[in-house]
Amino acid sequence: MLSVAVTFAGRAANRDQTLQTKDPWEDLMRAAIRGDTVAYRQLLQAISPVLRRVVQARGGGLGQDACEDVLQDVLLAIHTKRHTWVETAPLRPWLYAIARHKVVDAFRARGRRVEVAIDDFADGLAAPQGPDPLEGRDIERLLGGLDPRAAEIVRGFGLRGETTAETAARLGMTEGAVRVALHRALRTLAQMRERMIE
Amino acid sequence: MKTDDLIAALAADTLPQPTVAHRLARSFPVALAICVAAFIAFWGTRPDLSAALASASVLKTVLPALLAVLAGAGVMALAHPGMRTDRRLGVIGLFIGALAVVLVVYLARGGVAGVVMALTKPSLLICLVSIPLLGLPLLVAILWSLSTGAVLRPRLTGAIAGLMAGGVSAAVYSAYCDTDMVLYVILAYGAAILSVAAIGALAGPRLLRW
Repeated sequence: MLSVAVTFAGRAANRDQTLQTKDPWEDLMRAAIRGDTVAYRQLLQAISPVLRRVVQARGGGLGQDACEDVLQDVLLAIHTKRHTWVETAPLRPWLYAIARHKVVDAFRARGRRVEVAIDDFADGLAAPQGPDPLEGRDIERLLGGLDPRAAEIVRGFGLRGETTAETAARLGMTEGAVRVALHRALRTLAQMRERMIE
Repeated sequence: MKTDDLIAALAADTLPQPTVAHRLARSFPVALAICVAAFIAFWGTRPDLSAALASASVLKTVLPALLAVLAGAGVMALAHPGMRTDRRLGVIGLFIGALAVVLVVYLARGGVAGVVMALTKPSLLICLVSIPLLGLPLLVAILWSLSTGAVLRPRLTGAIAGLMAGGVSAAVYSAYCDTDMVLYVILAYGAAILSVAAIGALAGPRLLRW
């Protein structure tokens, strides 16, 4: 009887919370999962400064370039694991858990032990502000390890800001083939980073 | 490459990743078919199977299967960050705890002689080898499926995956095993299932990294 009452109270509290704080990131992520690239880009751009602050605050001694590498590791992980978010659950606990795991992992790969708490993300840690969008160096090395066409496709979207159709036309491929090649290239990148960490 | 450029490339990738449930739906039936086929080919059912299933010894099949279901719910939560794991893991703990209580009661009742009698059954070694062997293809399928998830506690998740695989294989093996003593079943099945969990705990950190 008591446990029923407690569960019921817990549910009610949860519902109140979701009513109070409608998280705009959740709508973006839902749209992203349905294939909305604009919403997805917006979401990743909104997340990045929050993650960057935590990475820089916790691994400041590592230098800003290395911190940006770690941030890119985290973004790749969020991307390759985005299907593990249960859409009926709040997004942020998922997001911060993924980020925390990856930040600790990425610093370990660079010979450092860092302590990161979930609250670090929620609190919006204050960190020395550097000139923002910074460059990641590791990813260049990894792109060099991909087959040239795959690397070219990743760069096409990134540096040139091309659409799938434009990349397809430039490389003489079908749009479907470009999509598959990009998907595989990003998955390979994530795996290569993982191997780098081991 | 600038982070903004990486974000543009990530956003352009709209192909979905396989989910844990997806992979499990694909690989688990195959693994179960291998397990059952091997069982039929090399073990075979006990002659009095239908009588056994109508008696209390049906628990030898039902309880491991129930453990597998509970463990399955546990690993699904463990592979999806943000999902609550405490209750699901707590239920598994309660299940094992309840069986431990039953074990203690029977130990107290039978004394040392009872344990000796239970463990000198010739089928003991067969049981300890068969359940892990039959569970191996299942464990591979479960761990492969979980590797597409985002497991934050790989050792624990591997162990629970082992409970799931061992639970299913013990349920299958129970159709062969004709030793129905409670002490024997809890000790032998328990040790066999736990050994699959131990294999899972060893493999987890290697296979569930991301």
